[in-house]
Amino acid sequence: MSVTASLPPEQLQQALSRSRARSASRWRILVRTPGRVIALAVVIIFTLMALVGPYLYPKNLPINASDIYAPPSLAHPLGTDFAGTDILALIVTGARYVLLAAFIAAVVTLVIGTAAGLGAGYYPRSFGRPIMRVTDFVLAIPGFPLLMVLSTIWSFGSPLQMGLVLGITGWGGIARAVRAQTLSLRERGFVEAARGLGLPGRRVIGTEILPNVAPYVSMNLMIQLTGFIYTEVGLFFLGIVKYSSSNWGVMLNNAVFQADALTNPRSLSYLLSPLICILAITISLVTLANVGDEIFNPRLRRI
Amino acid sequence: MKLTRWIAVKIVTGLIMIWVVASAMFLLLRWMPGNPAQTRYAELILHGDTPQQAQRATAALYGFIPKQPLIEQYGHYIWQLLHLNLGQSIQEEGVPVSHIVATAAPWTLIMCLSGIVASFLIGVTLGVASALRRMTKVGDGITWVGAIINGIPTYIVASLLLYVFATEWAIFPQGGTVSILYTPGWNAGYIGNLITHAVLPVTAYTLSLVGAWILTTKSSVISVLGDDFILAAELRGIRPLTVARYILRNAMLPLFTILSLALGLMFSGAVFIEDVFNYPGLGQQLLTSLNDNDYPVLSGAFLLIIVSVIIANFLADLAYPLIDPRVRRS
Repeated sequence: MSVTASLPPEQLQQALSRSRARSASRWRILVRTPGRVIALAVVIIFTLMALVGPYLYPKNLPINASDIYAPPSLAHPLGTDFAGTDILALIVTGARYVLLAAFIAAVVTLVIGTAAGLGAGYYPRSFGRPIMRVTDFVLAIPGFPLLMVLSTIWSFGSPLQMGLVLGITGWGGIARAVRAQTLSLRERGFVEAARGLGLPGRRVIGTEILPNVAPYVSMNLMIQLTGFIYTEVGLFFLGIVKYSSSNWGVMLNNAVFQADALTNPRSLSYLLSPLICILAITISLVTLANVGDEIFNPRLRRI
Repeated sequence: MKLTRWIAVKIVTGLIMIWVVASAMFLLLRWMPGNPAQTRYAELILHGDTPQQAQRATAALYGFIPKQPLIEQYGHYIWQLLHLNLGQSIQEEGVPVSHIVATAAPWTLIMCLSGIVASFLIGVTLGVASALRRMTKVGDGITWVGAIINGIPTYIVASLLLYVFATEWAIFPQGGTVSILYTPGWNAGYIGNLITHAVLPVTAYTLSLVGAWILTTKSSVISVLGDDFILAAELRGIRPLTVARYILRNAMLPLFTILSLALGLMFSGAVFIEDVFNYPGLGQQLLTSLNDNDYPVLSGAFLLIIVSVIIANFLADLAYPLIDPRVRRS
């Protein structure tokens, strides 16, 4: 605002309408197909679930021994589990751990990965060498087996701990991909022109290179976000992580190994509910990644 | 000359990485709640062993003696490691860890390599198709299928495959590697049985990777499609097949990065798939040793996984400049 405030009124008016037109066109891209609207709605619903879900139910969900594996009904829209606990309640209260941990991991990954990748690609010698050593190291260690080994000494009880570990072990992929793109972009004409003009490296990276790698990063991050969700759910699925409260992964583990959901149709709802939630959030994230792709890369837009 | 130096640097880096991980494993074994080596030592003393006997037994298990000063324990551990001595299993008493992991590794390797090759071929083909047809129903359809397959966690894919093709329809065996009815060797029955047992796990691997290939190939090809030189090539009337070659060559770079990542990722999928299909590979071994608190095997299997991934990355690094000449130039 400080820049536009000093402009004469008519120019200010133009700048404002330009920015309004831009956000309007972004909105049009977002709502272009019903699938995208649904994806946006799904992400919003799950975010709300993660934010307020745990406050809607008592801390210890009621169990009811006379009502186990109840089929879906008005009282229990998704039925009940092996202890007679409402599955919908389990889903709603279990969302926070899964989504919060994945979100924290994604933020850590985004910040470390993009910064390291851009820097290493633009200054391959001074900054790139040591950074890529570290990146190679992080990448060389396969995440899931590492998490399995770490689970023996690290408590994954809170989403913050889970998210931090997932993020710190998971940024290598983005860093490497961004570096590869930056290395290649660096040789392109427009970047050489910007450098030839004497723009500082910070500015060349920020305004010339970053917009070109952003679609790739957003695509990659969405895929990684879904990856984080599977990984944490997978740790609970294998039953090697101690947990203090139930979440989707614990539900899957119980469904497959305790309730024999694969051979026992009465516990099908118990298996399918967390599974469908994971699928829904994943597909929505990928759809939104495509929207981001179109917004960042005008050449992809359908006229 | 420059190339040999570069390769030498890469090899040294790899060795340093292995050394760092091995040292981390050493510290982990010592810091682990209850310090397994210490606990074992105390147990043996309680059983009436002399301190010397107990020391020798713990050293055989873990590669270091818990009563020594830290630096000597570490030296002993590294020395044993250099002789490829990973200690002994606690669960299967007296069996060297190197023997256990060496029997497990080939299963994982065969599974993973077939899965990676199959998913790469299928995924890249579908990804290119969906990028070229991205304005049509076919392209959208492929993207959706890719997203959905990518959205189903490996453990669910594996469980469902097992349920449908082994329980419901019983086309394929429930799990394991080969039926005991056949004598091992190069005879049709044995090989055929090995393959029938491998079909479901390999399919699960392929499905777990193919979605990511489709999505990344599509994204990568689309970003190349927007480039001016492709437009110029099309305007010049160059044959579509040649243009497709230009596109693929340029789209390969990010894909190739992901391929080398997939080599590391494959061990994660391996854990779930081997667990579900009861396939005695490294992932299964890792899980068993974790559940049994068999720390020497745990650390041995983990080290082997790390070393394989480091070697795979090294090979990928070697091939990197061959694919993108722009990288070679800098």
